[in-house]
Amino acid sequence: MIYVKDLSKSFGDNQVISHIDAHIEPGEKVVIVGPSGSGKSTFLRCLNLLEQPDRGTITFDGEEITSSSVDINKVRRHMGMVFQHFNLFANLTVKKNIMLAPVQLKIMSKAEAEEEAMRLLKLVNLEDKADVYPVQLSGGQKQRIAIVRSLAMNPKVMLFDEPTSALDPEMVGEVLELMKQLARDGMTMVVVTHEMGFAREVGTRVIFMDEGVIKEENTPREFFENPRDPRLKDFLSKIL
Amino acid sequence: MEAWLENLRKGFYQTFILKDNYMYFVKGIRITLLVTVLALILGVVLGVLVAIIRSAHDQQPVKKRGIVLRILNVICKVYLTVIRGTPMMVQLLIMWFVIWAGARATDGNLIRCAVISFGINSGAYVAEIVRSGIMSIDKGQMEAGRSLGLNYVSTMRFVIIPQAFKNVLPALGNELITLLKETSIVTVIGLKDLTKGAMIVQANTYQAFVPFIAIALIYLLLVLLLSWLLGKMERRLRQSDIR
Ligand SMILES: Nc1ncnc2c1ncn2[C@@H]1O[C@H](COP(=O)(O)OP(=O)(O)OP(=O)(O)O)[C@@H](O)[C@H]1O
Ligand SMILES: [Mg+2]
Repeated sequence: MIYVKDLSKSFGDNQVISHIDAHIEPGEKVVIVGPSGSGKSTFLRCLNLLEQPDRGTITFDGEEITSSSVDINKVRRHMGMVFQHFNLFANLTVKKNIMLAPVQLKIMSKAEAEEEAMRLLKLVNLEDKADVYPVQLSGGQKQRIAIVRSLAMNPKVMLFDEPTSALDPEMVGEVLELMKQLARDGMTMVVVTHEMGFAREVGTRVIFMDEGVIKEENTPREFFENPRDPRLKDFLSKIL
Repeated sequence: MEAWLENLRKGFYQTFILKDNYMYFVKGIRITLLVTVLALILGVVLGVLVAIIRSAHDQQPVKKRGIVLRILNVICKVYLTVIRGTPMMVQLLIMWFVIWAGARATDGNLIRCAVISFGINSGAYVAEIVRSGIMSIDKGQMEAGRSLGLNYVSTMRFVIIPQAFKNVLPALGNELITLLKETSIVTVIGLKDLTKGAMIVQANTYQAFVPFIAIALIYLLLVLLLSWLLGKMERRLRQSDIR
Protein backbone atom coordinates (compact mmCIF):
# COMPACT_ATOMS: atom_id res chain seq x y z
CA MET A 1 0.00 0.00 0.00
CA ILE A 2 2.79 2.41 0.90
CA TYR A 3 6.25 1.94 -0.54
CA VAL A 4 9.02 4.19 0.74
CA LYS A 5 12.26 4.23 -1.18
CA ASP A 6 15.50 5.91 -0.15
CA LEU A 7 13.71 8.59 1.87
CA SER A 8 15.86 11.40 3.31
CA LYS A 9 15.00 14.62 5.06
CA SER A 10 17.10 17.31 6.74
CA PHE A 11 16.24 20.43 8.65
CA GLY A 12 19.12 22.72 7.81
CA ASP A 13 22.27 20.76 8.67
CA ASN A 14 20.35 18.31 10.80
CA GLN A 15 19.81 15.09 8.85
CA VAL A 16 16.69 13.67 10.48
CA ILE A 17 15.83 10.83 8.07
CA SER A 18 18.59 8.96 6.24
CA HIS A 19 17.87 6.73 3.27
CA ILE A 20 14.90 4.86 4.69
CA ASP A 21 13.27 2.05 2.76
CA ALA A 22 9.98 0.68 4.04
CA HIS A 23 6.85 -1.05 2.87
CA ILE A 24 3.45 -1.05 4.53
CA GLU A 25 0.98 -3.62 3.34
CA PRO A 26 -2.81 -3.35 3.45
CA GLY A 27 -4.18 -4.37 6.84
CA GLU A 28 -0.84 -4.09 8.60
CA LYS A 29 -0.54 -2.37 11.96
CA VAL A 30 2.97 -1.01 12.00
CA VAL A 31 4.19 0.41 15.29
CA ILE A 32 7.20 2.72 15.27
CA VAL A 33 9.20 3.19 18.44
CA GLY A 34 12.48 4.90 19.19
CA PRO A 35 14.13 7.51 21.35
CA SER A 36 13.09 11.14 21.29
CA GLY A 37 14.46 13.04 18.30
CA SER A 38 15.11 9.88 16.29
CA GLY A 39 12.88 11.09 13.44
CA LYS A 40 9.69 9.09 14.05
CA SER A 41 7.35 12.04 13.65
CA THR A 42 9.24 13.34 10.67
CA PHE A 43 9.05 9.96 8.98
CA LEU A 44 5.32 9.72 9.62
CA ARG A 45 4.74 13.28 8.42
CA CYS A 46 6.67 12.55 5.24
CA LEU A 47 4.19 9.77 4.44
CA ASN A 48 1.40 12.30 3.85
CA LEU A 49 3.81 15.02 2.80
CA LEU A 50 3.22 17.30 5.75
CA GLU A 51 7.00 17.34 5.51
CA GLN A 52 8.54 17.59 2.07
CA PRO A 53 11.22 14.88 1.68
CA ASP A 54 14.60 16.00 0.32
CA ARG A 55 15.05 12.83 -1.68
CA GLY A 56 13.51 9.44 -2.26
CA THR A 57 10.05 8.40 -3.35
CA ILE A 58 6.82 7.43 -1.65
CA THR A 59 4.29 5.38 -3.54
CA PHE A 60 0.76 5.11 -2.18
CA ASP A 61 -1.80 2.87 -3.80
CA GLY A 62 0.30 2.61 -6.93
CA GLU A 63 0.76 6.35 -7.29
CA GLU A 64 4.08 8.05 -6.73
CA ILE A 65 2.92 10.85 -4.45
CA THR A 66 6.33 12.50 -4.21
CA SER A 67 6.15 13.36 -7.89
CA SER A 68 5.42 17.04 -8.37
CA SER A 69 2.49 16.44 -10.73
CA VAL A 70 0.39 14.74 -8.03
CA ASP A 71 -2.39 16.68 -6.34
CA ILE A 72 -1.41 16.01 -2.75
CA ASN A 73 -4.77 17.21 -1.44
CA LYS A 74 -6.47 14.34 -3.25
CA VAL A 75 -3.97 11.85 -1.82
CA ARG A 76 -4.39 13.08 1.74
CA ARG A 77 -8.13 12.36 1.66
CA HIS A 78 -7.22 8.70 1.80
CA MET A 79 -4.66 9.02 4.60
CA GLY A 80 -6.01 9.94 8.00
CA MET A 81 -3.68 11.51 10.52
CA VAL A 82 -4.02 11.76 14.27
CA PHE A 83 -1.80 14.16 16.17
CA GLN A 84 -0.36 14.19 19.64
CA HIS A 85 -2.16 17.44 20.44
CA PHE A 86 -5.47 16.45 18.80
CA ASN A 87 -5.68 19.63 16.70
CA LEU A 88 -9.44 19.82 16.70
CA PHE A 89 -10.59 22.99 14.96
CA ALA A 90 -11.10 25.34 17.88
CA ASN A 91 -13.64 27.54 16.10
CA LEU A 92 -15.99 24.69 15.19
CA THR A 93 -18.28 22.47 17.22
CA VAL A 94 -17.52 18.77 17.44
CA LYS A 95 -20.04 17.92 14.76
CA LYS A 96 -18.76 20.64 12.43
CA ASN A 97 -15.19 19.45 13.00
CA ILE A 98 -16.20 16.09 11.58
CA MET A 99 -18.32 17.52 8.78
CA LEU A 100 -15.95 20.20 7.46
CA ALA A 101 -13.73 18.18 5.15
CA PRO A 102 -16.36 15.81 3.68
CA VAL A 103 -18.66 18.74 2.93
CA GLN A 104 -16.06 21.17 1.61
CA LEU A 105 -14.50 18.50 -0.56
CA LYS A 106 -17.97 17.65 -1.86
CA ILE A 107 -17.69 14.03 -0.82
CA MET A 108 -20.96 14.23 1.07
CA SER A 109 -23.92 16.56 1.18
CA LYS A 110 -24.43 18.48 4.38
CA ALA A 111 -27.20 16.14 5.47
CA GLU A 112 -25.15 13.04 4.71
CA ALA A 113 -22.16 14.44 6.55
CA GLU A 114 -24.28 15.27 9.55
CA GLU A 115 -25.70 11.79 9.62
CA GLU A 116 -22.23 10.31 9.30
CA ALA A 117 -20.93 12.60 12.07
CA MET A 118 -23.67 11.46 14.42
CA ARG A 119 -23.04 7.82 13.56
CA LEU A 120 -19.34 8.24 14.31
CA LEU A 121 -20.03 10.10 17.53
CA LYS A 122 -22.33 7.31 18.64
CA LEU A 123 -19.53 4.88 17.91
CA VAL A 124 -17.36 6.63 20.50
CA ASN A 125 -20.25 7.37 22.85
CA LEU A 126 -19.96 11.10 22.46
CA GLU A 127 -23.15 11.97 20.63
CA ASP A 128 -24.12 14.27 23.49
CA LYS A 129 -21.04 16.39 22.67
CA ALA A 130 -22.06 17.05 19.05
CA ASP A 131 -22.73 20.74 19.59
CA VAL A 132 -20.04 21.71 22.06
CA TYR A 133 -16.73 23.35 21.22
CA PRO A 134 -13.43 21.51 21.67
CA VAL A 135 -12.37 23.54 24.75
CA GLN A 136 -15.19 21.95 26.67
CA LEU A 137 -13.83 18.42 26.19
CA SER A 138 -11.31 16.31 28.09
CA GLY A 139 -8.13 15.21 26.32
CA GLY A 140 -9.41 11.68 25.82
CA GLN A 141 -12.64 12.94 24.35
CA LYS A 142 -10.76 15.29 22.03
CA GLN A 143 -8.53 12.54 20.75
CA ARG A 144 -11.41 10.16 20.14
CA ILE A 145 -13.16 12.87 18.18
CA ALA A 146 -9.99 13.64 16.23
CA ILE A 147 -9.85 9.96 15.30
CA VAL A 148 -13.43 9.80 14.08
CA ARG A 149 -12.94 13.10 12.24
CA SER A 150 -10.31 11.30 10.17
CA LEU A 151 -12.58 8.29 9.79
CA ALA A 152 -15.28 10.46 8.26
CA MET A 153 -13.08 10.72 5.17
CA ASN A 154 -13.09 6.92 4.96
CA PRO A 155 -9.29 6.68 4.72
CA LYS A 156 -7.35 3.67 3.50
CA VAL A 157 -4.65 4.14 6.07
CA MET A 158 -4.40 5.94 9.39
CA LEU A 159 -1.23 7.57 10.69
CA PHE A 160 -0.97 8.15 14.45
CA ASP A 161 1.73 10.35 15.95
CA GLU A 162 1.90 9.61 19.68
CA PRO A 163 -1.88 9.79 20.06
CA THR A 164 -1.80 9.18 23.82
CA SER A 165 1.32 11.09 24.88
CA ALA A 166 -0.50 14.29 25.77
CA LEU A 167 -3.21 12.54 27.77
CA ASP A 168 -3.65 12.16 31.50
CA PRO A 169 -3.00 8.52 32.39
CA GLU A 170 -6.63 7.76 33.16
CA MET A 171 -7.62 8.76 29.60
CA VAL A 172 -5.04 6.71 27.72
CA GLY A 173 -7.18 3.58 27.91
CA GLU A 174 -10.23 4.96 26.13
CA VAL A 175 -8.14 6.13 23.17
CA LEU A 176 -6.18 2.89 22.91
CA GLU A 177 -9.45 0.97 23.08
CA LEU A 178 -10.77 2.88 20.07
CA MET A 179 -7.55 2.25 18.16
CA LYS A 180 -7.78 -1.46 18.94
CA GLN A 181 -11.31 -1.49 17.65
CA LEU A 182 -10.11 0.17 14.44
CA ALA A 183 -7.38 -2.44 14.15
CA ARG A 184 -9.92 -5.25 14.58
CA ASP A 185 -12.01 -3.71 11.83
CA GLY A 186 -9.07 -4.14 9.50
CA MET A 187 -7.75 -0.59 9.19
CA THR A 188 -4.20 -0.22 7.95
CA MET A 189 -2.37 1.67 10.67
CA VAL A 190 1.02 3.25 11.21
CA VAL A 191 1.42 4.21 14.86
CA VAL A 192 4.23 6.09 16.55
CA THR A 193 3.85 5.43 20.26
CA HIS A 194 5.53 4.77 23.56
CA GLU A 195 2.77 2.34 24.57
CA MET A 196 4.64 -0.95 24.41
CA GLY A 197 1.56 -2.86 25.52
CA PHE A 198 -0.26 -1.62 22.46
CA ALA A 199 2.69 -2.50 20.23
CA ARG A 200 2.72 -6.07 21.54
CA GLU A 201 -0.99 -6.60 21.47
CA VAL A 202 -2.05 -4.84 18.27
CA GLY A 203 1.09 -4.45 16.18
CA THR A 204 1.75 -6.83 13.34
CA ARG A 205 5.22 -5.40 12.98
CA VAL A 206 7.33 -3.16 15.18
CA ILE A 207 9.98 -0.81 13.82
CA PHE A 208 12.81 0.66 15.87
CA MET A 209 14.00 4.00 14.59
CA ASP A 210 17.20 5.60 15.77
CA GLU A 211 19.15 8.53 14.36
CA GLY A 212 17.01 8.69 11.26
CA VAL A 213 17.31 5.08 10.19
CA ILE A 214 15.37 1.87 10.79
CA LYS A 215 17.69 -0.09 13.04
CA GLU A 216 15.47 -3.10 13.47
CA GLU A 217 12.03 -4.38 12.51
CA ASN A 218 10.28 -7.55 13.48
CA THR A 219 7.12 -9.18 14.71
CA PRO A 220 6.23 -7.86 18.16
CA ARG A 221 7.19 -11.12 19.84
CA GLU A 222 10.65 -11.31 18.27
CA PHE A 223 11.10 -7.58 18.65
CA PHE A 224 10.60 -7.56 22.38
CA GLU A 225 11.96 -10.98 23.26
CA ASN A 226 14.93 -11.18 20.94
CA PRO A 227 16.17 -7.71 20.20
CA ARG A 228 19.46 -7.81 18.28
CA ASP A 229 20.50 -4.21 17.78
CA PRO A 230 22.47 -2.96 20.81
CA ARG A 231 20.71 0.43 20.72
CA LEU A 232 17.36 -1.33 20.74
CA LYS A 233 18.41 -3.51 23.69
CA ASP A 234 19.46 -0.37 25.51
CA PHE A 235 16.20 1.39 24.57
CA LEU A 236 14.03 -1.51 25.69
CA SER A 237 15.88 -1.91 28.97
CA LYS A 238 15.15 1.72 29.73
CA ILE A 239 11.44 1.67 29.05
CA LEU A 240 10.32 -1.83 30.01
CA MET B 1 -22.29 84.54 34.10
CA GLU B 2 -25.52 85.77 32.63
CA ALA B 3 -23.67 87.23 29.68
CA TRP B 4 -21.86 83.96 29.12
CA LEU B 5 -25.09 82.01 29.09
CA GLU B 6 -26.60 84.50 26.70
CA ASN B 7 -23.57 84.11 24.46
CA LEU B 8 -23.92 80.36 24.54
CA ARG B 9 -27.60 80.61 23.64
CA LYS B 10 -26.72 82.82 20.72
CA GLY B 11 -23.97 80.46 19.69
CA PHE B 12 -26.39 77.55 19.75
CA TYR B 13 -28.94 79.46 17.74
CA GLN B 14 -26.48 80.52 15.08
CA THR B 15 -24.77 77.16 14.91
CA PHE B 16 -27.81 74.93 14.60
CA ILE B 17 -31.05 76.82 14.00
CA LEU B 18 -30.16 79.77 11.81
CA LYS B 19 -30.59 78.97 8.12
CA ASP B 20 -31.04 75.29 9.02
CA ASN B 21 -27.36 75.10 9.82
CA TYR B 22 -27.90 71.81 11.69
CA MET B 23 -28.10 70.18 8.27
CA TYR B 24 -24.33 70.66 7.89
CA PHE B 25 -23.90 68.42 10.91
CA VAL B 26 -26.48 65.85 9.89
CA LYS B 27 -25.07 65.54 6.38
CA GLY B 28 -21.56 65.63 7.82
CA ILE B 29 -22.21 62.68 10.12
CA ARG B 30 -23.68 60.75 7.20
CA ILE B 31 -20.60 61.36 5.08
CA THR B 32 -18.16 60.65 7.90
CA LEU B 33 -19.87 57.34 8.66
CA LEU B 34 -20.22 56.43 4.99
CA VAL B 35 -16.54 57.03 4.30
CA THR B 36 -15.53 55.19 7.49
CA VAL B 37 -17.66 52.11 6.85
CA LEU B 38 -16.85 51.77 3.14
CA ALA B 39 -13.14 52.39 3.78
CA LEU B 40 -13.19 49.79 6.53
CA ILE B 41 -14.77 47.20 4.24
CA LEU B 42 -12.20 47.93 1.54
CA GLY B 43 -9.45 47.92 4.16
CA VAL B 44 -10.47 44.56 5.60
CA VAL B 45 -10.74 42.95 2.16
CA LEU B 46 -7.35 44.32 1.13
CA GLY B 47 -5.83 43.58 4.52
CA VAL B 48 -6.98 39.96 4.66
CA LEU B 49 -5.73 39.37 1.11
CA VAL B 50 -2.34 40.87 1.87
CA ALA B 51 -2.15 38.98 5.16
CA ILE B 52 -2.90 35.67 3.44
CA ILE B 53 -0.31 36.31 0.73
CA ARG B 54 2.30 37.32 3.30
CA SER B 55 1.66 34.33 5.57
CA ALA B 56 1.39 31.89 2.67
CA HIS B 57 4.79 33.13 1.54
CA ASP B 58 6.32 32.85 4.99
CA GLN B 59 4.79 29.46 5.76
CA GLN B 60 5.83 27.74 2.51
CA PRO B 61 9.20 26.05 2.53
CA VAL B 62 11.63 28.11 0.43
CA LYS B 63 11.78 25.52 -2.33
CA LYS B 64 8.03 25.42 -2.81
CA ARG B 65 7.43 29.16 -3.16
CA GLY B 66 6.13 29.71 -6.66
CA ILE B 67 7.26 32.69 -8.71
CA VAL B 68 3.74 34.19 -8.55
CA LEU B 69 3.74 34.01 -4.76
CA ARG B 70 7.15 35.65 -4.61
CA ILE B 71 6.07 38.52 -6.85
CA LEU B 72 2.82 39.02 -4.93
CA ASN B 73 4.78 39.03 -1.68
CA VAL B 74 7.13 41.72 -2.96
CA ILE B 75 4.19 43.83 -4.11
CA CYS B 76 2.58 43.45 -0.68
CA LYS B 77 5.77 44.45 1.08
CA VAL B 78 6.18 47.58 -1.05
CA TYR B 79 2.55 48.47 -0.42
CA LEU B 80 2.95 48.08 3.35
CA THR B 81 6.15 50.08 3.43
CA VAL B 82 4.90 52.98 1.33
CA ILE B 83 1.49 53.28 2.99
CA ARG B 84 2.77 53.00 6.53
CA GLY B 85 5.75 55.22 5.81
CA THR B 86 3.85 58.28 4.55
CA PRO B 87 1.24 60.49 6.25
CA MET B 88 -2.40 59.79 5.54
CA MET B 89 -2.98 63.40 4.58
CA VAL B 90 -0.26 63.28 1.97
CA GLN B 91 -1.76 60.08 0.52
CA LEU B 92 -5.12 61.76 0.30
CA LEU B 93 -3.68 64.87 -1.38
CA ILE B 94 -1.85 62.74 -3.93
CA MET B 95 -4.94 60.66 -4.61
CA TRP B 96 -7.14 63.71 -5.25
CA PHE B 97 -4.84 66.32 -6.73
CA VAL B 98 -2.46 64.04 -8.64
CA ILE B 99 -4.13 60.77 -9.49
CA TRP B 100 -7.64 62.19 -9.84
CA ALA B 101 -6.40 65.55 -11.10
CA GLY B 102 -8.98 65.82 -13.87
CA ALA B 103 -12.01 64.84 -11.79
CA ARG B 104 -14.77 67.34 -11.04
CA ALA B 105 -15.20 68.09 -7.37
CA THR B 106 -18.65 66.52 -7.01
CA ASP B 107 -19.66 64.90 -3.72
CA GLY B 108 -19.69 61.52 -5.43
CA ASN B 109 -16.14 61.87 -6.74
CA LEU B 110 -14.84 63.19 -3.44
CA ILE B 111 -16.44 60.36 -1.50
CA ARG B 112 -15.06 57.75 -3.89
CA CYS B 113 -11.62 59.30 -3.63
CA ALA B 114 -11.80 59.40 0.18
CA VAL B 115 -13.05 55.82 0.47
CA ILE B 116 -10.31 54.51 -1.79
CA SER B 117 -7.57 56.49 -0.05
CA PHE B 118 -8.66 55.51 3.44
CA GLY B 119 -9.38 51.95 2.36
CA ILE B 120 -5.90 51.54 0.91
CA ASN B 121 -4.37 53.16 3.98
CA SER B 122 -6.38 51.12 6.44
CA GLY B 123 -5.70 47.91 4.48
CA ALA B 124 -2.01 48.20 5.30
CA TYR B 125 -2.68 48.33 9.02
CA VAL B 126 -5.38 45.67 8.90
CA ALA B 127 -2.98 43.42 6.98
CA GLU B 128 -0.41 43.50 9.74
CA ILE B 129 -3.07 43.02 12.41
CA VAL B 130 -4.57 40.03 10.62
CA ARG B 131 -1.16 38.59 9.88
CA SER B 132 -0.23 38.70 13.54
CA GLY B 133 -3.54 36.96 14.20
CA ILE B 134 -2.76 34.23 11.68
CA MET B 135 0.69 33.77 13.18
CA SER B 136 -0.83 33.38 16.63
CA ILE B 137 -2.82 30.30 15.62
CA ASP B 138 -1.20 26.99 16.52
CA LYS B 139 0.25 25.43 13.39
CA GLY B 140 -1.45 22.17 14.28
CA GLN B 141 -4.72 23.71 13.09
CA MET B 142 -3.36 24.14 9.58
CA GLU B 143 -1.81 20.68 9.63
CA ALA B 144 -5.06 19.08 10.72
CA GLY B 145 -6.91 20.78 7.87
CA ARG B 146 -4.28 19.83 5.31
CA SER B 147 -4.09 16.25 6.56
CA LEU B 148 -7.81 15.86 5.84
CA GLY B 149 -7.24 16.90 2.23
CA LEU B 150 -8.39 20.50 2.50
CA ASN B 151 -6.19 22.88 0.52
CA TYR B 152 -4.35 25.87 1.97
CA VAL B 153 -7.00 28.42 1.05
CA SER B 154 -9.93 26.38 2.39
CA THR B 155 -8.14 25.71 5.67
CA MET B 156 -7.37 29.41 5.94
CA ARG B 157 -10.95 30.33 5.22
CA PHE B 158 -12.78 27.89 7.47
CA VAL B 159 -10.30 27.34 10.28
CA ILE B 160 -7.46 29.83 10.55
CA ILE B 161 -9.02 33.16 9.58
CA PRO B 162 -12.07 32.80 11.85
CA GLN B 163 -9.80 32.13 14.83
CA ALA B 164 -7.31 34.80 13.84
CA PHE B 165 -10.14 37.26 13.39
CA LYS B 166 -11.48 36.59 16.84
CA ASN B 167 -8.04 37.05 18.37
CA VAL B 168 -7.45 40.38 16.67
CA LEU B 169 -10.94 41.80 17.00
CA PRO B 170 -9.88 44.29 19.70
CA ALA B 171 -7.03 45.51 17.49
CA LEU B 172 -9.36 45.76 14.49
CA GLY B 173 -11.80 47.70 16.64
CA ASN B 174 -9.06 50.17 17.47
CA GLU B 175 -8.31 50.48 13.78
CA LEU B 176 -11.96 51.26 13.06
CA ILE B 177 -12.02 53.92 15.75
CA THR B 178 -8.79 55.46 14.48
CA LEU B 179 -10.22 55.42 10.98
CA LEU B 180 -13.39 57.19 12.08
CA LYS B 181 -11.39 60.01 13.66
CA GLU B 182 -8.84 60.19 10.85
CA THR B 183 -11.52 60.73 8.21
CA SER B 184 -11.74 64.30 9.51
CA ILE B 185 -8.78 65.13 7.28
CA VAL B 186 -10.93 64.72 4.17
CA THR B 187 -11.58 68.41 4.72
CA VAL B 188 -8.34 69.10 2.83
CA ILE B 189 -9.88 67.90 -0.44
CA GLY B 190 -13.11 69.74 0.32
CA LEU B 191 -15.41 66.84 1.15
CA LYS B 192 -18.16 68.08 3.47
CA ASP B 193 -17.78 65.62 6.33
CA LEU B 194 -18.63 66.38 9.94
CA THR B 195 -15.49 68.45 10.53
CA LYS B 196 -15.90 70.42 7.32
CA GLY B 197 -19.52 71.08 8.28
CA ALA B 198 -18.42 72.68 11.52
CA MET B 199 -15.79 74.74 9.70
CA ILE B 200 -18.38 76.03 7.25
CA VAL B 201 -20.74 76.99 10.06
CA GLN B 202 -17.87 78.70 11.86
CA ALA B 203 -16.93 80.67 8.76
CA ASN B 204 -20.53 81.76 8.19
CA THR B 205 -21.44 82.66 11.75
CA TYR B 206 -18.09 83.50 13.38
CA GLN B 207 -19.11 81.12 16.15
CA ALA B 208 -16.26 78.75 17.07
CA PHE B 209 -17.01 77.43 20.54
CA VAL B 210 -20.33 75.74 19.91
CA PRO B 211 -19.66 74.11 16.51
CA PHE B 212 -16.27 72.70 17.39
CA ILE B 213 -17.25 71.50 20.86
CA ALA B 214 -20.36 70.01 19.28
CA ILE B 215 -18.42 67.94 16.73
CA ALA B 216 -15.96 66.86 19.41
CA LEU B 217 -18.92 65.50 21.38
CA ILE B 218 -20.39 63.88 18.28
CA TYR B 219 -17.11 62.12 17.45
CA LEU B 220 -16.85 61.00 21.06
CA LEU B 221 -20.38 59.63 21.02
CA LEU B 222 -19.75 57.76 17.78
CA VAL B 223 -16.58 56.26 19.21
CA LEU B 224 -18.37 55.17 22.38
CA LEU B 225 -21.15 53.64 20.31
CA LEU B 226 -18.64 51.75 18.19
CA SER B 227 -16.76 50.48 21.24
CA TRP B 228 -20.01 49.22 22.69
CA LEU B 229 -20.96 47.42 19.47
CA LEU B 230 -17.50 45.88 19.18
CA GLY B 231 -17.64 44.70 22.78
CA LYS B 232 -20.92 42.96 22.05
CA MET B 233 -19.53 41.30 18.94
CA GLU B 234 -16.45 40.15 20.81
CA ARG B 235 -18.54 38.50 23.49
CA ARG B 236 -20.50 36.64 20.85
CA LEU B 237 -17.36 35.45 19.10
CA ARG B 238 -15.94 34.26 22.43
CA GLN B 239 -18.61 31.56 22.50
CA SER B 240 -16.16 28.87 21.48
CA ASP B 241 -14.01 29.70 24.54
CA ILE B 242 -16.68 29.26 27.17
CA ARG B 243 -15.99 26.33 29.37
N1 LIG C 1 10.15 21.71 11.65
C1 LIG C 1 11.39 21.42 12.11
N2 LIG C 1 12.40 22.28 11.96
C2 LIG C 1 13.65 22.00 12.40
N3 LIG C 1 13.97 20.86 13.03
C3 LIG C 1 13.00 19.95 13.21
C4 LIG C 1 11.67 20.17 12.77
N4 LIG C 1 10.93 19.10 13.09
C5 LIG C 1 11.76 18.23 13.70
N5 LIG C 1 13.01 18.73 13.78
C6 LIG C 1 14.18 18.04 14.35
O1 LIG C 1 14.28 16.77 13.76
C7 LIG C 1 14.67 15.81 14.70
C8 LIG C 1 13.70 14.67 14.70
O2 LIG C 1 12.46 15.14 15.15
P1 LIG C 1 11.17 14.23 15.24
O3 LIG C 1 10.09 15.09 15.74
O4 LIG C 1 10.96 13.53 13.96
O5 LIG C 1 11.59 13.19 16.34
P2 LIG C 1 10.70 12.14 17.11
O6 LIG C 1 11.37 10.83 16.94
O7 LIG C 1 9.29 12.26 16.69
O8 LIG C 1 10.86 12.58 18.63
P3 LIG C 1 9.77 12.64 19.79
O9 LIG C 1 9.71 11.27 20.37
O10 LIG C 1 10.38 13.61 20.76
O11 LIG C 1 8.49 13.10 19.22
C9 LIG C 1 14.79 16.53 16.03
O12 LIG C 1 16.16 16.81 16.24
C10 LIG C 1 14.02 17.80 15.83
O13 LIG C 1 14.59 18.83 16.59
MG1 LIG D 1 7.49 12.94 17.59
